[in-house]
Amino acid sequence: MAQTTTASPLQAGNPSAQTWFLPVLAAWLIPGGGHFLLKKSGRGALILASVVLMFFFGLFMRGTMFTPEKGPDYLTSLINYGGFVCDLAAGALYILSSVFGYAQPDLPGAVHDYGTKFLVTAGLLNILAMVDTWEIATGKKD
Amino acid sequence: MPKINLSHFEAAFLFSLFTSVVMGITTKKTNPERLHYGAYCFGCFLLALFGIGWVMKLGHG
Repeated sequence: MAQTTTASPLQAGNPSAQTWFLPVLAAWLIPGGGHFLLKKSGRGALILASVVLMFFFGLFMRGTMFTPEKGPDYLTSLINYGGFVCDLAAGALYILSSVFGYAQPDLPGAVHDYGTKFLVTAGLLNILAMVDTWEIATGKKD
Repeated sequence: MPKINLSHFEAAFLFSLFTSVVMGITTKKTNPERLHYGAYCFGCFLLALFGIGWVMKLGHG
């Protein structure tokens, strides 16, 4: 009787961390890095350009970088912690900007506010790129 | 560090462009689908930008 080898549902549902950890880490640290690692250079370049440009526009518009601190009320705390997580998702861009002192204080004005949204959105877009990297690395997507 | 002062329209245009590119790449499985969805998202962003802009102008009186 011929035997067929198929992956168990457990294996199919939970791919090994070895296959995706490094690409996803690279995708977090360098936007598009996971795609480059998985030989998807075209998509990686577009993600790199989009996230980096968005982050730098935010930085040059003097956008605020959030810090994880408790505010006077629940909503302020939520905004601070949520904003920090989104900023942190931009990876090395956020880490280097903070380390080299480019983090801006919260200033009044529409342009600064746009800048803050650009910084947060750069992180959120990088999260999308990380999820895409995970899907490619685990074979759910080409 | 240089400082950039963008108008609301310029900021919204750039926001739409970058977001549409990443959303197109990450949500679809083939290149034609990616291009189509990216263009669709960008169109929706611009439509909302002009539409809501006009609603605010007309609503303001």
